[in-house]
Amino acid sequence: MQRKTPFLIALTAVILVAVVGAPGLTAAPKLTLPDMPNPKVIAYPHEVGKYGGVHVRAQITDPRTFNIIVAQETSSTDILANIFDGLVEQNYITGEIEPALAESWTVSKDGRTWVFALRQGVTWFDGKPVTADDVVFTFQAIFTEGVQTSSRDTLTFDGKPLRFRKLDDRRVEFRTEKPIGTFLRVIGASIVPRHKLAEALAKGPAEFNRTWGVNTPPREIIGTGPFVMQEYVPGQRVTFLRNTKYWKVDKAGNRLPYLTRYVRLIVPNLDALRLKFLAKETDVYAARPREFSEFKQMERAQNFTIYDGPETFSSEFVVLNQNPAGVKPPKLAWFQDQRFRRAINHAIDRATIANQIYAGRATPAWGPMSVGNKLYYNDKLPQYEYNLARAEQLLAEAGYRKGSDGFLRDAQGNIVEFTLSTNAENNDRVAMGNILRQDWTKLGIKVNYAPEAFNTLVGKLTGTFNWDAIIIGLTGGIEPVTGKNVWLSSGSLHMWWPKQEKAATPWEEEINRLFSQAENEVAQDKRKQFYLRWQQIVAEQVPIHYFSYPKTQPAVRNTMGNVTPIGLQGAIQPIDTLYYKQVLR
Amino acid sequence: MLRHVLRRLVQMIPLLLGITILSFLIIQLSPGDFLAEIRLNPVVSQETVDQMRANFGLDRPLHIQYLRWLGNILRGDFGYSFAFQVPVLWLIKSRLLNTLLLSVTSLIIAWLIAIPIGIHAATHQYSPSDNLLSFTAYVGISTPTFFSGLLLLYGAFRTGWLPIGGMTSLDYDLFPWYGKVLDVAQHLVIPASVLAFLTVAGLMRQMRGNLLEVLRQDYVKTARAKGLSGRIVIYKHAVRNAINPLITIFGLELGGLLGGAAILENVVSWPGLGQLILDSVVRKDLYVVMASLVFGGVTLVVGNLIADLLLAVSDPRIRYD
Repeated sequence: MQRKTPFLIALTAVILVAVVGAPGLTAAPKLTLPDMPNPKVIAYPHEVGKYGGVHVRAQITDPRTFNIIVAQETSSTDILANIFDGLVEQNYITGEIEPALAESWTVSKDGRTWVFALRQGVTWFDGKPVTADDVVFTFQAIFTEGVQTSSRDTLTFDGKPLRFRKLDDRRVEFRTEKPIGTFLRVIGASIVPRHKLAEALAKGPAEFNRTWGVNTPPREIIGTGPFVMQEYVPGQRVTFLRNTKYWKVDKAGNRLPYLTRYVRLIVPNLDALRLKFLAKETDVYAARPREFSEFKQMERAQNFTIYDGPETFSSEFVVLNQNPAGVKPPKLAWFQDQRFRRAINHAIDRATIANQIYAGRATPAWGPMSVGNKLYYNDKLPQYEYNLARAEQLLAEAGYRKGSDGFLRDAQGNIVEFTLSTNAENNDRVAMGNILRQDWTKLGIKVNYAPEAFNTLVGKLTGTFNWDAIIIGLTGGIEPVTGKNVWLSSGSLHMWWPKQEKAATPWEEEINRLFSQAENEVAQDKRKQFYLRWQQIVAEQVPIHYFSYPKTQPAVRNTMGNVTPIGLQGAIQPIDTLYYKQVLR
Repeated sequence: MLRHVLRRLVQMIPLLLGITILSFLIIQLSPGDFLAEIRLNPVVSQETVDQMRANFGLDRPLHIQYLRWLGNILRGDFGYSFAFQVPVLWLIKSRLLNTLLLSVTSLIIAWLIAIPIGIHAATHQYSPSDNLLSFTAYVGISTPTFFSGLLLLYGAFRTGWLPIGGMTSLDYDLFPWYGKVLDVAQHLVIPASVLAFLTVAGLMRQMRGNLLEVLRQDYVKTARAKGLSGRIVIYKHAVRNAINPLITIFGLELGGLLGGAAILENVVSWPGLGQLILDSVVRKDLYVVMASLVFGGVTLVVGNLIADLLLAVSDPRIRYD
């Protein structure tokens, strides 16, 4: 009974706390729609566009499901993102969290209770209103054991799942054990209609995973997003029509989106993607770094513009195995030796990697966070300039000597020799491995370079642990704590030594602590301090040797309006505000 | 004849069993599984991956997995695709017609062209036209389909005469029926001619060789000596005999109808079965691979059977009892 008191206090606090976010809504006069008192007004800079037109893009490979809860890979989510919305969404330029299906929210003083109020008048494609029941249902589905979704992991904190309940038709309350600093960033899961999916969930998780598979008639996929799916032709295309009841308006109060039809062509590979754009069949192409100058020259003739975008969030890297279950001494001793890792970091020619692989369009990486992540990037990290003499000197200080035969030997006289691998399907990574091998060989290290199939590689990384050094990459998010699988010493993707019972080193323990502090820190600037320290540790300890963060270079047909400003990771303006300057087709 | 057909069909059963057991083992024992990509996703925990494995039944012993699969296909249930979470049969059906359209069209074109020019080359041995045809055939045989496919795509891109890959245009659904036919036909030109070119090259050389062989036979000389016109000698007697080995080849080609054009399909964005199978093999989508192997095996065996039957029709010396 005593427990109830703090809860009640928390509830009263909810009412007192001010509304967070919603920057655009303060502008006067207030814009409304006949069926919606408070539509979302686009906050990023844009011009008022024209209605009409068919927008065409292409993507590699087919969608795998139309069920956004279980969708994992971009070939599905890129399609479904047009159909579904979350309670909140991310500003594509700043990365800040903005209202979406929820028009406002409050958080209790203790930071553990959040109440979201749904936007009034938002309806599903079939005309039924979006209510708190749909929100609760969505999270029920996510937390149903056996439903294949990664959202469950991001919404589980310290092993405790998020709790949620309906307050009334328009309000939902979420509670966590501890205050969660990144709460808004992980709560944006797409909301799905209860009246369409409840039956499937009732039949069990296996049935739910199969519901809304790609064999479902597109018209049955009911969402709230800017476009309604009209047709899916396997291996060829997905076609959308404008949602005439969408809940966003431009700065003049015109209902979005402007485009009438939206088509995503399905092509088998990157070459086809490129060819389709150059043949003017598609309007947007995310060019590769080394295509930048070539495309720059074609701009005028082909009537498009290629933009100089910022860095992506993910870098390729090489990681050395420090797991006693996978490598034996003396190898283990070298890889666990910070001095060794630092020394060979000076023998990674990041400039050559950037030039050869990315045609110069990449920024050297000294730590786990991209320069492109303006919110948390640490610009004061120690840098390891490419310098073989320095590397040799550091190795000598650590007791490694180059013998007369040219091979590097450790203090016990063992020749330093190990196998370097990467996934053979990825030409870029294979080329990086060649650059790496050349330089490390110059140090006297015997590097056996053996690229393998991706499947095999992942099996070794996460299963047998039987590997020495691997070149690979991981996707990155804005908020590093979402990557805790990699950074916590207990994580299954803590590549150099996964699933440790207890942190093996003091610095890994400190990272564990920093991540737990960051996760519970609500204030973004304080969270930033934890992240800065984490980047510092990683740069000093180099458990992972990062190479470089490649830049983005989106190419867009000049017939499109509202393309710029270019946002995070090279994103152009969302489909909501894109329009055709002259509506021809 | 009927007994022979039945016997061949019964013999197919152990053969297919062998094929499926072997391929099941090879797929399962090779390192890695379907979940490799998900394992490398920083936001997915180990527990989630383990649970997915259990959902897919991948955590059970191999023989149990195989027997369950076998039991299911005997009831016509080919299982669910891991990647798509839809029935494997639906996936295959969604692309089967596209592949058949491409392979059958190219097969017909190839045979219609290859036989006459093979005959021409044989009857005009070492003439300039024979040399030219032989040269072209060598080029055809030695050019991989992905290369000629790319070349033609590039040509289409430069000239704008033909669509660049795919099977239908954006507005396909708005076309009247003849517009639809024309549209698909336009898209067919590149992939079908690439495939046909390759087949023509091989077939034509075969036809030429066989016919030359036959023309050296005594009975041809006899027929000529008897005063039969050259035309009748060649078309009524020689060609009839020279075509037998080609019928065997025809049977093999029937077996390749479903998956034979995988790489080309990939190059020219043809939404066919080959592409699907290739993807499934790469990502180890077990039941899709198994189903396509079963279908491939059946068509191969049936193709051979048809060829043998055709052979009996064309050559009275061959009898099945």
